[in-house]
Amino acid sequence: MLIQLILVLILAGLFVVTVRRAVQGVIPWGEALAWCALWVAAATVVLLPKTTSVIAQLVGVGRGVDAVVYLSITLLFVLLFRVFLTLDRLDQQLTGMVRREALRDLNIPPGEEADTAPRV
Amino acid sequence: MRAIVVIPALNEASRIGEVVAAVRPYVERVIVVDDGSTDDTGRVAAAEGATVIRHALNRGQGAALKTGTLAAIQMDGCAIVHLDADGQHDPSCIPALADPIRRGEADVVFGSRFLGIAPRGMPAVRRAYFIAARLFNTFLLGIPRKITDPQSGARAFSKAAAQAIDFRQDGAAHCSEILRMVTRSGLRYQEVPVLVRYTKETLQKGHRFTVAFRILWQLIVRH
Repeated sequence: MLIQLILVLILAGLFVVTVRRAVQGVIPWGEALAWCALWVAAATVVLLPKTTSVIAQLVGVGRGVDAVVYLSITLLFVLLFRVFLTLDRLDQQLTGMVRREALRDLNIPPGEEADTAPRV
Repeated sequence: MRAIVVIPALNEASRIGEVVAAVRPYVERVIVVDDGSTDDTGRVAAAEGATVIRHALNRGQGAALKTGTLAAIQMDGCAIVHLDADGQHDPSCIPALADPIRRGEADVVFGSRFLGIAPRGMPAVRRAYFIAARLFNTFLLGIPRKITDPQSGARAFSKAAAQAIDFRQDGAAHCSEILRMVTRSGLRYQEVPVLVRYTKETLQKGHRFTVAFRILWQLIVRH
C-alpha cells in the first residue's frame, strides 16, 4: 500500500539522519542505537502489522492496534517528561549565570566582608 | 550582631521605597534584589539607602532570595532576615524574627500569620488555600504539623544556617523547600507570630491559585 511505502521511507530517512548525527558526534552512540531500534520497530509494525497482534497477545491487550496506541502514549509521556527535566536543568543553569553576574558587581564596603566563603 | 534584611522585588517601584524606609530602623543593612524589573524598582530602593543587586533576567522570588542571602553572607550578616517587597509584613516583626538568633536560641526563625496575631484583610479563600497547603506540606513533603504557616515569606537565619540551607527552588516553591530542609536538618528552629496585612494591591500581585499547581510541579520535579 502507498501509506506503507511513505511511512517506511520516512522511517528510513530518520534512521539515516540518526546514524549521521551519531557519526558527527551530535548525539552519543548509545542514544542513537535506542532511536534506531525505535525506527526499526516502527518499520516492522508498518510492514508487518500482524506482529503487533503477537505482542498484544503477549502483554494481554486485545488488539495489536491497541497495544501500539498504548505504547505510543507511554513513550510520548516519557519523552515529554525528559523534555521538562532538560528545561528545568537549563533553568537552573540560567539562574546560576544570572546570580554570578549579579553578585560580581556587588560592592562590599571595607570591613564588611565575611571572613569565610559561603558553602552554599 | 549584624542583621541584614533581604527583599526580593519585581516591578515594585511604587512600594519599595516605603518598605525600605520602614525596615531600615530595625537592621544594619537592607539588600533589595531587583529580579529583572522593568520599572524603577532598583533606583527607588537605592535612593532609600538599600544595597541593590540586580538580576539581568527575571528568575523568580526564590532565586532572588537566594542571591540576596549569598550577598548577606558575604557581608557577614549574622541574622539574615527575608521579607516580602509588597509591604505586607509589618517591619516591627523584625526583632521578633532576629532576636532568637541574636540570643543564640535558634538557628532559623519562621514568621507565622497564624500564631496569635490575626492577619488583616485575609480573604476566606486565601485561608482555605493555606489549610490545603499545610495538609500538602504535612502529608506529601513530611513537614511537621506543628509548623502553622506553610507559605510564610518572613523568616530569619543565622549565618551558619543560611550557609547550610542550600535551597534551589527559583519560584514560589522555595517556602515549602526551606521548611522541609530546615525541619530535617537538625538546626534549631522556631515559629514566632508576625502581622501580615492584606490590601487590594498585595492580593492582586500575590499568589494566584494557578501558582499552587506550579509549586506542586516544581516540588515534584526538583525533589
